[in-house]
Amino acid sequence: MIRHSLKQASLVIASVLLLSPLGGYAQSAPSGDRWLHVRVVSTDSNGESVSVNVPLELAEKVLPAINKNQLHGGKVSIDKLDDNGVDFRALLEAVRSSKDGEFVTVNGKDGEDVRVAKQGGFLLVHVTDGSDHITHHHSANKDSAGKNQDDKTQGERASKESAAKVSHVEVKIPLSVVDALLSGGKNELDLVAGLRMLSSQGDTELVSVKDEESTVRVWVDSKNSNGPEGGTR
Amino acid sequence: MILLAKVGLGVVSTLAVAGIYTFREGVVRVDVDEYRENGSHVHLWLPAAAIPMAVHFVPDREMEKAARKAREWMPGARVAAHELGKLPDSVLVEVKDGDEHVLISTHDGAIKIDVTEPDEQVHVLCPLATIEDVTAEIANTRPGA
Repeated sequence: MIRHSLKQASLVIASVLLLSPLGGYAQSAPSGDRWLHVRVVSTDSNGESVSVNVPLELAEKVLPAINKNQLHGGKVSIDKLDDNGVDFRALLEAVRSSKDGEFVTVNGKDGEDVRVAKQGGFLLVHVTDGSDHITHHHSANKDSAGKNQDDKTQGERASKESAAKVSHVEVKIPLSVVDALLSGGKNELDLVAGLRMLSSQGDTELVSVKDEESTVRVWVDSKNSNGPEGGTR
Repeated sequence: MILLAKVGLGVVSTLAVAGIYTFREGVVRVDVDEYRENGSHVHLWLPAAAIPMAVHFVPDREMEKAARKAREWMPGARVAAHELGKLPDSVLVEVKDGDEHVLISTHDGAIKIDVTEPDEQVHVLCPLATIEDVTAEIANTRPGA
């Protein structure tokens, strides 16, 4: 009787041990996580590229576990959030409660254009910096003014090259995420709340930078890979 | 004769159970290949199950030193290892620069680091459960205890 029970018990133990690795694999099924992607592509001859993919849920859980310097419990303390007499929260509240529209438009003489707007629940910042282009263009003209035709051609070429030096920065942040970031105490940003809110958003391109040296993109989607073209558009 | 058979059965069962346990926990794998004159070639395979056990044999003083230095980061590393273990196979970081390629990814519950350069290749594979166990072990070490 005892021998029979022992035999049965050993069979059960052997089965559990044999099947447990398969159980482990079954747990690692794909989840519906949201991913934050960063992609930097350099336009140099080497074509250097950096891709980073971070599951937002992972960041949400890891951040509260880190207590170092300004970061504590998933909140980062910023001493100068309301510095220079500007109440950042009040400013944001004013933007949030106002209708969609363009709040700031700067057309700089040096080709630097800045546009800040609110549209469809997003805070949009658009910066075009063509100061290099203007500087080069002017110097090319200055150089070519008193010289011969060859110099003029050179000047035109330089002007064409510098045209590619215009850089574009586009930032698109859901206002709900900004609200969540500021939901903590005074002078602190609640990163975990911000991430949680970000993961509840749809596929969003947050930052796009394009200049003559590199292209940078930061976006959120539900894919766990960066993709050859960089995912969401 | 029957006694011999019983001993044999015992040895075979022990080996089988040990093999299954090792297979379940996975292996820590380190491969380093330097493709140059006198370049080293290191290929190390360790049963992951042995590493948390080996940590117990590290002198207390050394463990305390490690715990003191890494204390602030251990909870974060432990949570990260646990959460990464839940992910499907994913590429976390990829850097390409000409002939150089660095890839950090998760594969079958392990973290994989691959560095490929024209004259050197490094591949490291470590089960995330092992990292979780070791970080927990270090985090639980109380200096001066």
